[in-house]
Amino acid sequence: MAVASRPSPIAWLLAPALLLFVLFFVLPFGVMAMMSFYSGNPVTNPNAFLTTRHYERFVFDTAGIYHDALWSTLRIGLITTIVSLLIGYPLAHWMARMQSRLGHALVLMAVIAPMLTGIVVRTFAWMTILQDKGVINTLLIDWGIVSKPLPLMYNEFGTVVALVHIYVPFMVLTLTGVIGRIDERLEQAARSLGAGRLRAFVEVTLPLSLPGILAGSLLVFALSISAYVTPSLMGGTDVLTLPMLIAQQVGTSFNPNFAGALGVVLLLVSLAIVVAYNRILARLSGEQGLA
Amino acid sequence: MISRRTVLGTGALAAATLAAPSILHAQTKTLKITTWGGKWGDIMKATVLPAFEKEFKCTVSADQAFPYVPKLQASPKNDPLYDVLHTNSNEQWNCFTEGLVMDKITPKEAPNVADVYPWAASDKIVGVAIFTSAIGLGFRTDKGLTKPTSWKDLADPKLAGARGSYIIPVNSLGQCHLMMLGKIYGKGLQDLDAAYKALEQLKPIKLVDFTGQMEKMLLSGEVSMGVIHDSGVYRYDGQNQPVDFASPSEGVMALEQVLNVTPGSKVKELAFAYVDYMLRPDTQKLLAEGVWYSPANKKVKLDAKYDEKLLTTEAKVATLIQPDWKWYNARKEDIDARVTKILKG
Repeated sequence: MAVASRPSPIAWLLAPALLLFVLFFVLPFGVMAMMSFYSGNPVTNPNAFLTTRHYERFVFDTAGIYHDALWSTLRIGLITTIVSLLIGYPLAHWMARMQSRLGHALVLMAVIAPMLTGIVVRTFAWMTILQDKGVINTLLIDWGIVSKPLPLMYNEFGTVVALVHIYVPFMVLTLTGVIGRIDERLEQAARSLGAGRLRAFVEVTLPLSLPGILAGSLLVFALSISAYVTPSLMGGTDVLTLPMLIAQQVGTSFNPNFAGALGVVLLLVSLAIVVAYNRILARLSGEQGLA
Repeated sequence: MISRRTVLGTGALAAATLAAPSILHAQTKTLKITTWGGKWGDIMKATVLPAFEKEFKCTVSADQAFPYVPKLQASPKNDPLYDVLHTNSNEQWNCFTEGLVMDKITPKEAPNVADVYPWAASDKIVGVAIFTSAIGLGFRTDKGLTKPTSWKDLADPKLAGARGSYIIPVNSLGQCHLMMLGKIYGKGLQDLDAAYKALEQLKPIKLVDFTGQMEKMLLSGEVSMGVIHDSGVYRYDGQNQPVDFASPSEGVMALEQVLNVTPGSKVKELAFAYVDYMLRPDTQKLLAEGVWYSPANKKVKLDAKYDEKLLTTEAKVATLIQPDWKWYNARKEDIDARVTKILKG
């Protein structure tokens, strides 16, 4: 009887992951959430008191920038996810169906190679390409195609371009695994029954790859809405996202309590979107919950 | 034959030998400071800090990972993360308001404070300033521009889209520029309405969040004229770069490098000794010539090439305008929201 109540060896193997989750997510998030309900740091300031003023500040938005920043964050996240999916899916499909091992390895290396360079470096590289005196604008002006620089940077366009470049590998790697596990004979069967290439893809391969689409999209969306460096460097005055506001509050306004409230708001809104997205995809694929 | 006593004796000796450095280290005081990276950090780590450690028989633990203030905020006041905080003046005022740093450092605590220019220990400074740069206008010399003489030159319509400043909520040079706009176009540094109106007129303008990025924008020609501190331009002296610095006639804003001691420091005497050491003429000369900062100590004699350009005389330091950061910080949230809306779009 006593043996039956002992945790299984598998449970013990899960312990490190669980500990990691508690230490590096639950605990920091708990502290952040707690701080967001205090007027100051209760550990160092005995006069700190409980308050909802940081949330009121966001909700009523008398400054007129917080709601815009939230919308901007979500918009950039959604556009980046959609573009990454559009670029990543065909590439992942091609990789998954590739017969040559060498070819697969080479493409995989090409996909992973950008990840070997830091985000700051990659963003600076995009700056040298997209800025007014950058490679593209200089060439276009020199060739007489345009008379003044195109607005390729210091806006949402430049931000999304750089983010897509950074996050496409995450989409590709996630999708490749899922598409690779889809039995090719299913597609062949559909075609033998008279479906064209496109119809076989739309009605067989695409629905079966929905779990990969969901996982890849959630990964890219989560990374995009929490991106700080790239929107800061590429966005100029046009882009203000919640992570930028959070960094401002911590690093230059020295108000970690309001930053905590902004962090909680971002997490809650993101979770709501993720749940809704999961349900929509589940309904589309006829399954009850994909993730 | 080796006896048990011999083995034990040898083992004890070996253990004592191995433990000696850590015992010594435990007895050596450690001074925790913040300091900048880049060329400044190189000089500090290669020369200044080792010499200080040797003279004061201590170790210095230097944090170069900005931002420092949130980390100090998160540490207990009676056992602060830093003994000496090195930041710009605006951040020192934030810390002072929260009781994280001292009010003033006097000659009693650091004798070399007696030799500083008045700006370095003025009522606009908490702690003591050890250097300053002059915030003015950097410009390209290869774009047919005449050397700017006024802050108003930045508003020249020819510079639309080719002028640069900073993201005001995150950069004190941008904040200084905003206050300067109030002075130039309104009643004074605190005339925010005039400053906002003038800021609107500067659009389109390229904004960056740190001075290093402005240097790159000037060097690459991405901006033809931008707000920058003199050090950010002079450091390219002798590299044949087509950039120069101009001090507008209305005055230059001060970007002070300030040291302050935390009230809860356990090694306060050593902390004051460090402040004093940083104000010594030889330390000041080394760093001033290394990174083109104007020294706070009046007794410093710089080489001619530095002396010509930096603020090293009473007449030159008189052109420095020191902002009231206590006033600015109290309004920062409102100012941040207002300028963000003005500059967006």
